[in-house]
Amino acid sequence: MSDHPVRAHRRITLPLKQARVQRWVGVAVLVTLLLLSPLYLNQSPYQMGVVTGAFFYAILASSWSLLAGVAGQFSFAHMALAGIGAYSAGLLGRDLGTSPLTGIIAGTLAAGFVGLVIGLLCLRLRAAYLALFTIAFSEIVRIILLTEFQYTEGTNGLQLAPLYEGITPLAEYYVTLGLLLVSMAVMYWISSSRFGLFLRAMREDQEAAAAMGVNVVRYKVLIFVVTSLIVGLAGAVFYHQVRIITPNTMEILQMSLIIAMAVIGGMESLLGAAIGAFLSRISLELLREINILGIHIELGAWRYAAFGLLLMFTLRFAQNGLLYPIIDRLFMRRVREETVSARAQTAEVEP
Amino acid sequence: MTGIHPALAIWLMLAGPIWAGIGAWGLPRVYRRKGLDDSRARLVGGLGGLTMGPLMVVPLWLLTPELKAWYWAGIPGMLAALQLYALFAAMDPKNLCVTNPQYVANQLSSGLTIGFIYALMAVGLTLIYSVQGIISFAHGQFYMLGGYISYDFLVLVGDVNPIVGVPVAGLVTMLIGFVFERLFLRPMHLGHVERTGEYAILITFGFGFFLQYTVLAAVGPFSQKAKPYLGMGSVQIGPLNLIPNRLVAAAIGVVLIVVLLYVLNRTWLGKALRAVSMDKQAAAVVGINPLTMNTLAFGIGTMLAGMSGAALIPVFTWVPWVGGPAATRSYVIIVLGGMGSVPGALVGGLIIGLVEAMGSGCYPDPSKGAAYKTAFGLIIFAIMLLLRPTGLFGREL
Amino acid sequence: MIELEVRGVYKNFGGLQALNDVSFQVRGPELIGLIGPNGAGKTTLTNVLDGIHKPTGGQVWFNGERIDGFPPYEIARRGIGRTFQVTRAFRRMTVLENLLVPAMAMHPTARQRSFRDKAMEVLRFLTMEHLAKEYARALSGGQQKLLELGRLLMLDPDIIILDEPFAGVHPKLMEIIYEYITTINAQDKAFLIISHDMDTIFTLSQRLLVLDFGTLIADGDPTAVRNDPAVIEAYLGEDEEERKDA
Repeated sequence: MSDHPVRAHRRITLPLKQARVQRWVGVAVLVTLLLLSPLYLNQSPYQMGVVTGAFFYAILASSWSLLAGVAGQFSFAHMALAGIGAYSAGLLGRDLGTSPLTGIIAGTLAAGFVGLVIGLLCLRLRAAYLALFTIAFSEIVRIILLTEFQYTEGTNGLQLAPLYEGITPLAEYYVTLGLLLVSMAVMYWISSSRFGLFLRAMREDQEAAAAMGVNVVRYKVLIFVVTSLIVGLAGAVFYHQVRIITPNTMEILQMSLIIAMAVIGGMESLLGAAIGAFLSRISLELLREINILGIHIELGAWRYAAFGLLLMFTLRFAQNGLLYPIIDRLFMRRVREETVSARAQTAEVEP
Repeated sequence: MTGIHPALAIWLMLAGPIWAGIGAWGLPRVYRRKGLDDSRARLVGGLGGLTMGPLMVVPLWLLTPELKAWYWAGIPGMLAALQLYALFAAMDPKNLCVTNPQYVANQLSSGLTIGFIYALMAVGLTLIYSVQGIISFAHGQFYMLGGYISYDFLVLVGDVNPIVGVPVAGLVTMLIGFVFERLFLRPMHLGHVERTGEYAILITFGFGFFLQYTVLAAVGPFSQKAKPYLGMGSVQIGPLNLIPNRLVAAAIGVVLIVVLLYVLNRTWLGKALRAVSMDKQAAAVVGINPLTMNTLAFGIGTMLAGMSGAALIPVFTWVPWVGGPAATRSYVIIVLGGMGSVPGALVGGLIIGLVEAMGSGCYPDPSKGAAYKTAFGLIIFAIMLLLRPTGLFGREL
Repeated sequence: MIELEVRGVYKNFGGLQALNDVSFQVRGPELIGLIGPNGAGKTTLTNVLDGIHKPTGGQVWFNGERIDGFPPYEIARRGIGRTFQVTRAFRRMTVLENLLVPAMAMHPTARQRSFRDKAMEVLRFLTMEHLAKEYARALSGGQQKLLELGRLLMLDPDIIILDEPFAGVHPKLMEIIYEYITTINAQDKAFLIISHDMDTIFTLSQRLLVLDFGTLIADGDPTAVRNDPAVIEAYLGEDEEERKDA
């Protein structure tokens, strides 16, 4: 018999097969909605552009949540890597006349390579140091791109060609959506595979994971490379659609925005982070100006301030993200509610 | 010094790094094999090899003296700086830094001056880390806030010297710090929050985000600058072209640092803070409430950041984004000095001030040099993280 | 056959000599106790064997291969497993997942499903099968200790190092752990057990290693070691005094 009766707890489970079916149905519904919404959005290229941008943020947020939430690596270099992808593509296009496709491939590889270097350098760095190092890295990249404006156009921004001549907002919408779906699929596959299992073990206790035979070096570097490739690709593609990239992309504030979206959506859940980012981005756009009772208010930066406040309260009171309860119920992950209190989990060690 | 034979130049460039490699790789091994303390062997071997090649590495290898004294790393360090300078002079002989000693002196004094304020801000950050064990990612925003609070106060009150703004800004930022700590950090220390490591990083980040956009929304993307302390213009003292405005700021920094050191070392409060930073539980056992100390430390830290900002708004133009580079600089300083070490932050602040001044002053393209100012510190930062993450004065974490 | 050889290992931490010329061998499925006063270097020795620390001097050979300096995961894969003094389960993962990690790490090509049965079997052996879907952090301290032992079974090493397995456990749990050790030992696995629990260690071990200030001062069968004057002075001292007075 057991050592200790397990304390009272609440469990919400469905039989496994039913849960799985429900999950796929939910995903299918979401995807279909996204595929069909241009029918409604087509009237307004502006609105379609906003949703396309929201897809981009969803990719950034979900990949960050894989790196930081699942693997436990708090890297603030994410936006910088997306920028590196975009700048590489842009510079190649301008100087060597390469096609956007070549530029995108080059940008992706460049970001992946830089991610590799960061991963290798950060092997020995603990959480806070990793955060500081990646902040410093983003800043250096941004400063260089800003200062060498004769080469990079600095604040004026580097121009990028469209993906192909005569591309329509509709096509851009589907390209970005496709990118989002593919990267979500890849990341989901990673997270539910042995790779994901090892990442979570490493996040919990790297030394213990190593003692259990997990090659922590390989997997730590690998997750950096994979997420860097994803954001590099996303960055290169997206900025070809925006047609211009500036060093402001790499400001820590931009990175904070991604982090905020991922946290509010749910840091440990790829889907949560993606949906959170998507909804946040759209809300922020919609809230540019509001009309209450006939009064027109320009909200400007206040909406971001409110967003910051939302971030703080989410962290404090809903650490798993605001969408966690919804996702949990809809997609029926097996949930174990915490027993009486977190404090009671400390080991009982007699003196 | 121009026209060095290319072969000589190549040899000079390579010999240093090669011997640095030999020193950094080999010396620790030799010390370990002999069962000696090898904690500084890598640093001394690397620097010694870089600057003096075999002259340093071979004797150390054979005799393996104890390397604890400052000069083992200090002298090669200074030599490295000199050699770097000589190399630089050889490559860019027309540079002002090479031809004009007065210019160099001015750069150094300017760097030292600003270094005191850097140090002040960094001390705040390191104090928070030493007592709470977390890095506040909102530190830059408190600095920025301090500047704006001082400015608004001065506008409100009218015709006063900007110095008055400093304690006011300090008070306000301290109060904001208290409130934030109480509401969002104390629960973490009490165990009300899961995943504290993650939470600690993200919550201060979030607060910084919030402060940043609040100020941006309230003030708009426009720049402000307060009245200067002592009027514009500069004063010539000997070879130095000093700017009294900056000197006042530096003086404020020095005074505040002295006061802080006094508080930390001579008052009960300071001793209590240091006790908690060393061992929370032991402090609790002797009757010090760690939770209160946490809040105080955070408040003092944010106060210092705010006062740094207030001290500088009469000197520099202020925009809502000034917090970013200032924060990055503070991170660099505390890693350089050793996280949690107040003397480290002081020394680190001065060093970074000097590095930034010399780096930007001597960069061949002056306008770019100014833009790259923070980058020079960041290079040091990267090197420190790789070679000696615990910093100059750091405790082994 | 299992062959571990520790040859003249030194470990120095910036001036502190933690291990001083330690040498011993393990041949076959021995059950060895490692005892010594606090700070004697027992955990350091474990960390060196496990790859967490590199020895400052000396060598460690395992099954004909030199393993000192290897990272922990390489050593684990070669067949040396250990537990930690303070239990280090993967808290935000389920008990089942905790057990799957070493199994999956050891078998790069296999699928998760193939190890679920083995994991359940291990849990049954530890009387914890009803906890399979619980998060590790919800377990009590004793259960977490068992979980660590379970992880070792999934790792299936030749040598198992237990760091204070009996510390702070109540008698019921101690029985389970004792049984675990003897059963697994009978399956041809060697054990190296660090413990301060003198009674248990003396009855359990076939052989005792005694460390004092980083030096191995005794290596032999428990009765001989118990009466060794050097050991008594360094570690069991109290007993001698009391015996004299009695």
